[in-house]
Amino acid sequence: MLFALLVPLLFLAVFLAAAVRRVRVYDSFASGVAGVLPLLKSLLPYITAVLILAELFEASGLSALLSRALTPAFNALGIPAELARLVLIKPFSGSGALSVVSDLFAQYGADSYIGRCASVVYAAGETVFYLSAVYFAGRKNKKPVLPVAVAFFANLCAVALGCLFCRIL
Amino acid sequence: MNILFVAVFAASSAALLFKDAAAFLPALLAGAGKGVALGLQLAAVWAVWLGFLHVAEDAGILRGLSRAVRPLTGRLLRTKNEAALGQAAVNLSANLLGMGGAATPAGTQAMRLLGEEGNAFGEAMLFVIGCAGVQIFPSSVIALRAAAGAADPYDVYLPILLASLCALAVGVSLVLLAYALKKRLRKRSA
Repeated sequence: MLFALLVPLLFLAVFLAAAVRRVRVYDSFASGVAGVLPLLKSLLPYITAVLILAELFEASGLSALLSRALTPAFNALGIPAELARLVLIKPFSGSGALSVVSDLFAQYGADSYIGRCASVVYAAGETVFYLSAVYFAGRKNKKPVLPVAVAFFANLCAVALGCLFCRIL
Repeated sequence: MNILFVAVFAASSAALLFKDAAAFLPALLAGAGKGVALGLQLAAVWAVWLGFLHVAEDAGILRGLSRAVRPLTGRLLRTKNEAALGQAAVNLSANLLGMGGAATPAGTQAMRLLGEEGNAFGEAMLFVIGCAGVQIFPSSVIALRAAAGAADPYDVYLPILLASLCALAVGVSLVLLAYALKKRLRKRSA
């Protein structure tokens, strides 16, 4: 598998290059790992909150109801209806989407068609509305309607095409 | 997200009251348990990649990458503003490497600088490219697949890459088209 080789080679190349340039690789790696703590501290509360919400949403039966309501629209685009929750949360929250993906893996298996599509929907594309709030923050002139609409449409294309690629690749 | 949270929470709680009120607290606790478990899984993934990226940064590899993409970014964003281009290059390479955390501060900085020179085209372009989410290696989802016991965690690499490249192509061409139309309209009215 070509991609399985990519990661070890990448690590090897970077570590050797660093060593040649007299970087203290062990110390440098460790100080990089230290960055996990603030990241975890800032994201864990949100991941947990979204998963609590997802569990409640599932238990209430509303999730099934919503998937059923959206099935025709998703079918028309060739997207499995089981991904409704993921497609809906993805533009707003990356950690929320990641939570839903891990939930879908547990439910359907990572190797299932649903699991593969979920992987693609999560990784191809970004949290459009969240990013627009951050990137265009503090802008006094008119709202960035055009860029956001374009980005949203492009991501929707990626979702539909990603599910198609999962079927044929 | 706050409105969404309250709305979904309230609707779900109300529905559950009618369906099975006793299931309320167990559902919350199950969700929290999943959240903490996922957090630990992610912490392991981040530990590996943040360590790796820090070594790459110290070795000057990230800086080299930023410099390599500069000619491309200048043409793409239609600006000669060095400061904005530098930030945009960091933003784009961090996005390519899948480090959203490093990409966002550079991205907001670049957007502010482009906004100051009134370059709405550059702003739209940078935003749409960032939103396509093209990554050389989508580490978190592949690591999550490995943790979930996928037979081949890498087998989604090609669909992910192709789908995000499609998003990039659609986004970039729509921005080009929209601003070409705007320019023509402005010319006609002038």
